[in-house]
Amino acid sequence: MDNYDLLAMREHYNRQRIMLCFNGPISRSLIEEIGNALRNYLAAEQAQPSAAMDVFAVYIEMTQNIRHYATRMNYPEQDAAATVSISRDEEGRYVVAAGNLVELDDGRQLVDWIANLAGLDKAQLKAAYKEQLRRPRDDERASGAGLGLLDIARKSSAPLRASLKEQADGRAFLSLRAVI
Amino acid sequence: MTELNIPGTQSTPTIHGDWPAGVLAMQGDSYPENSFELFGQVIDWVERFLREEARPLALELRLLYLNTSSIKALMDIFDLLEEAHRDGLPVSVSWHYDSRNERVAELAEEFREDCSFPFAILPFSE
Repeated sequence: MDNYDLLAMREHYNRQRIMLCFNGPISRSLIEEIGNALRNYLAAEQAQPSAAMDVFAVYIEMTQNIRHYATRMNYPEQDAAATVSISRDEEGRYVVAAGNLVELDDGRQLVDWIANLAGLDKAQLKAAYKEQLRRPRDDERASGAGLGLLDIARKSSAPLRASLKEQADGRAFLSLRAVI
Repeated sequence: MTELNIPGTQSTPTIHGDWPAGVLAMQGDSYPENSFELFGQVIDWVERFLREEARPLALELRLLYLNTSSIKALMDIFDLLEEAHRDGLPVSVSWHYDSRNERVAELAEEFREDCSFPFAILPFSE
């Protein structure tokens, strides 16, 4: 354990055009601090204010969803962890991705729901968003993540992608990827 | 307690309710994890003003980024204004935004779609 290959990590990040990434237990203040760093990067890259706001918004909704889920499930701190990356794709579009451990059934439900969103156009997404907004707070989707995900889908230029990898302990690692 | 003063932080707006003037001002970003801890007291203030006063109530907003949980809370406030407006009370919203950031105007516009009281969206340039 004395020889992390930092150079390989660096080359991997560079190849993937990752501007910023994080892996570990995520707290409220950490979300804010990484968010700050993200805003600074976007400002340094002279992103349009509206594009910068979209990237920031997607980052906040994804990470707060992860925090809310871990809180609701009473996960201990090391399980309230997130893997987050913000990068650019070949066309220069910003890509925000986040992953976390979830209960397998919750993960499956969410992946199905996100697959359904891919079939909706902008107007349908807006209608679904407004409907979710009007729902009473205690009547949120089982995932609790509905409104945030609809917001992310609306800010994305391509359908949201979700994948699930089962883990040995009966949980699964859920990854979400949004292209802004 | 008719004064409402909530200092802003990085993730929460500065909020000032001026009861005698009938003005509620909010400015800044809003993305707290739990928007209800923050906006609950604002909702209470607005409810009370509308119940006790027949004077105009004006919201002066310079809000920027709102997370979905803040959007939900703000919608609750606008719903109170809408109800008051239907009862004939003079309520209004002015939302000022930096003309370089169209997203804020779009956000305000989506709120306005559901409101029939006077709701102005006003660009400013620095």
